[in-house]
Amino acid sequence: MAVKRISNENDMKLCVVMVGLPARGKSYISQKIVRYLSWLSIGCKCFNVGNYRRVLGVDKPKYGFFDFDNMASYHVREAALEMAFKDITEWFDGNSDSDNIDNTGHSNGSLTHSVAILDATNSTRERRDWILQRCHEHGIQPMFLESWCDDPETIAANIKDIATTSPDYEGQDECSASQDFKKRIENYKSVYSSLNTADDKSLTFVKLINISHEIVINRIETYLQSRIVFYVMNIRIRPKCIWLSRHGESIYNVEQKIGGDSSLSERGLKYAAKLRELINENVENNERLSVWTSTLCRTQQTAQYLPYEKLEWKALDELDAGVCDGMTYEEIEDVYPEDFKARDDDKYEYRYRGGESYRDVVIRLEPVIMELERQENVLIITHQAVLRCIYAYFMNVPKEESPWVSIPLHTLIKLEPRAYGTKVTLIKANIPAVSTYKEKGTSHVGESTDAEGAHNMLVNAPEMTQ
Amino acid sequence: MTNTNLADAPVLERQTARDTKENYMARTSKRWVEPSARLSPRHSNSGDAVHEPVIDVEDFISPGQLYSTESGSMFHAGRILIVLVGLPATSKTLLSVAITRYTRWLGVRTESFHLSKYTKAHTSIPTFLSDEFHTVSGAEFKNEIIKKVTNDMTKFFEEGKGQIAIYDALNIRKDGRAALQATFKKIGAKVLFVESIVTLPELLTRNIELAIQSDDYENWGKHEAIKDYTKRITSNEALYERMSPIENLSYIIYYNFGDRIIMNNTNFGYLVSKIVFFLMNLSDKQGCIYFSRCGRSNSDKYIDDEVLNEEGIAYSKKLTDVVIDRIKQRRSERKTKAAEFNQNSKDTDVRADSYETNDDSFDPQSLAVWTAERKRTYDTARFFKEQGIEVQKRSQLKQLHPGVVADMTNDQIKENFPKEYDEYTRDPYHYRFTRAESYHDLAVRMEPLLLELEHMQKDILIIAHESTLRVLYGYFMACTSLEVPMLEFTRGQLVEISFNPFNNIVTRIPIKL
Repeated sequence: MAVKRISNENDMKLCVVMVGLPARGKSYISQKIVRYLSWLSIGCKCFNVGNYRRVLGVDKPKYGFFDFDNMASYHVREAALEMAFKDITEWFDGNSDSDNIDNTGHSNGSLTHSVAILDATNSTRERRDWILQRCHEHGIQPMFLESWCDDPETIAANIKDIATTSPDYEGQDECSASQDFKKRIENYKSVYSSLNTADDKSLTFVKLINISHEIVINRIETYLQSRIVFYVMNIRIRPKCIWLSRHGESIYNVEQKIGGDSSLSERGLKYAAKLRELINENVENNERLSVWTSTLCRTQQTAQYLPYEKLEWKALDELDAGVCDGMTYEEIEDVYPEDFKARDDDKYEYRYRGGESYRDVVIRLEPVIMELERQENVLIITHQAVLRCIYAYFMNVPKEESPWVSIPLHTLIKLEPRAYGTKVTLIKANIPAVSTYKEKGTSHVGESTDAEGAHNMLVNAPEMTQ
Repeated sequence: MTNTNLADAPVLERQTARDTKENYMARTSKRWVEPSARLSPRHSNSGDAVHEPVIDVEDFISPGQLYSTESGSMFHAGRILIVLVGLPATSKTLLSVAITRYTRWLGVRTESFHLSKYTKAHTSIPTFLSDEFHTVSGAEFKNEIIKKVTNDMTKFFEEGKGQIAIYDALNIRKDGRAALQATFKKIGAKVLFVESIVTLPELLTRNIELAIQSDDYENWGKHEAIKDYTKRITSNEALYERMSPIENLSYIIYYNFGDRIIMNNTNFGYLVSKIVFFLMNLSDKQGCIYFSRCGRSNSDKYIDDEVLNEEGIAYSKKLTDVVIDRIKQRRSERKTKAAEFNQNSKDTDVRADSYETNDDSFDPQSLAVWTAERKRTYDTARFFKEQGIEVQKRSQLKQLHPGVVADMTNDQIKENFPKEYDEYTRDPYHYRFTRAESYHDLAVRMEPLLLELEHMQKDILIIAHESTLRVLYGYFMACTSLEVPMLEFTRGQLVEISFNPFNNIVTRIPIKL
């Protein structure tokens, strides 16, 4: 029976070792884990061996490079793995210098470094034994995470995605890139040995088979491991889009009051009508769209003309402003000057009297985020603070910045989470609305630098393109 | 692949709109409604409430519930029937009770239906699925009982606003499982089978030991009970059809108490993944959880972070002795029992492990001590450390932040914050004083710790503030959110929670200085 271990939160070092053929969503899953754990304030960073190989000078290899009989290239890939592992150990020890490598994930000083993800195929038992040995030497718990898939449709979608977005194929046409990539996969197939419950029964591992149709979970020993497994079993590795929108301009927005449950203004109603057009023009397969709103009437009014399945989530309700609900920022500054300042100083942690903080919102969003990962074609219509939290999750915005992200009214936001970053597209409805953005240190509302569309949102998005 | 799981879930999650009070919570209302006056808390010394029926009051709120909904169901997860599958002695009852406890804490209306209870109510024959059922009258009896349980579970969904029903029976035949799937699909419930397989001899033996202590074997000789129960296992082994993908059902296989979990076709959504998350952390508990307050310091105030005074040190010493004596006592009882068991199981091949070495020395490895980070709390564990027992500071054990009412008596609060005090007394679990945490905040931030406690196999002592102990105890004894703030933990008592498949048991042991 598995030895259930109790973590000592101070010296927890977990390395998630990805396993699987190329085009099985490994990088995508790695990125998702980084985002999810960072969002929960757990220090996490992904180390992609391909990036190290590129640093070693092999930046656009042909498939022959991945021939396992080619000893010269084998040594390069081995060296890349060693570099990655060295950086992992240094990162855990807190003297990481690995930011010169293009690794995503914030080396945020305030977070303890708890989870490293080694993103590579790790397809042979020999390679995995080497990693086990090194983890053992450095007091790191290894957890293997395999994505196994033989569904041709999913693989084809992933190949297409990699051929068009991977730095290995930059500048190549999609067709020849795909051809080459398929041959690369064949090279890996010849040596691949999948994790199984006979040979690997003593390892901590998770194996996802065909997008979680079947999941094998072996010897989970700590809470943190279980938390990661809980998350990945909700991930779907097929490329998809998420659509986000704030509700239309509300009466309270116009009156510069926060919270409340007011109706839409006339311009807000116009946006609601326009939203149907925007969806028709921009969302493929929109007949299968599912629209999620909060339980507040301004989000439901915004969704009223949308002829799709609708779900109301209490968890999508706006951040509860407690005693300040229904006040303007000027009134808050006037009545609760200390609170006003405290909130500006630490907006993520500040909890309104009788209300909530951004952290509280993040916690209650857990079921929404998990469902969102499982679904395709979802449009979420919700509120400024809640959207900031959801946006921070998809874009890996650190918690110091996420409460300050500007999310304009009357704009449809398209997110495309991919293996190498999330792409954001803003689709403006061109219906005027007030700005509800409040900068630090003032009770005035509105973006001072806002010429058409130059919002902080774009500035704050750390991984817009790649 | 499209996912239509959400389509059949009830759409309404809206709350009852309440009157708006001045400017406060001007929108619909709070995230939870105020607790009903119709509910009165049970006495804090009452036992494990996990088998109490789901409280059928619309505005009932569970301690770990993040928000309340009008429909009473959570996470757009719809209705779920969990069917346990497995031979006798595979911890099915324990699993059903544990899932009930956790999901109820999260605010889900869950109820376990134990087939053994139904048979007991209708017959004096204690051995369900004994040879009796190979006769015509036996089969009829079995069908009748199963019909009764099925009806009750249907009623629970249809009339009792139930969201999860757990069916605790063998369910080892394919035809029976197919029938359940068909019946409950009709009423819009998703059916998830959880098959428990135990192959480790020590687990199996422990389960048999527990089983023969149950009511089934009241007034039986130990020897006969073991023989009978092992026969139950072997006779059912012949009938057992393992779950396989051919059945086209959604299932989870749970091997050797979570050593391995296999999920097949369980694309059910958040709630089911949350249950698997819980199962990953659940362990076969052999030890107990002990709760204690910290010793006294000079001013004993929240604002100071003082070390212990002399009285506090004496208390710590005494606490250490009481805990270690108690653990030794339990072990020697267990040893006697194991020896007795082995004596009685001679002609079967089950053998209890006597766990302990022969001498009476205390193994420091078998106990862990967790304390909050404050000096006097950590200091209370000093004599444990001296004995080589692992003592860990856990930041999650930090007491409820009292905010502006720190170190005030109830009377002082009433005098200084009359309005706030009034609101607090109406909902002590959710109310926050200025800059304070509520019990609910505390429960939410302690959830990871609760799961780690579920994880724990050996004995553990938790030394913490009363507010923290209330929340932890509240989970393990299935207290309601009305009861949690009223629970009492005094310095004169060590509170022990021991685990049993069917319910948890509290023992209060005096610490006399």
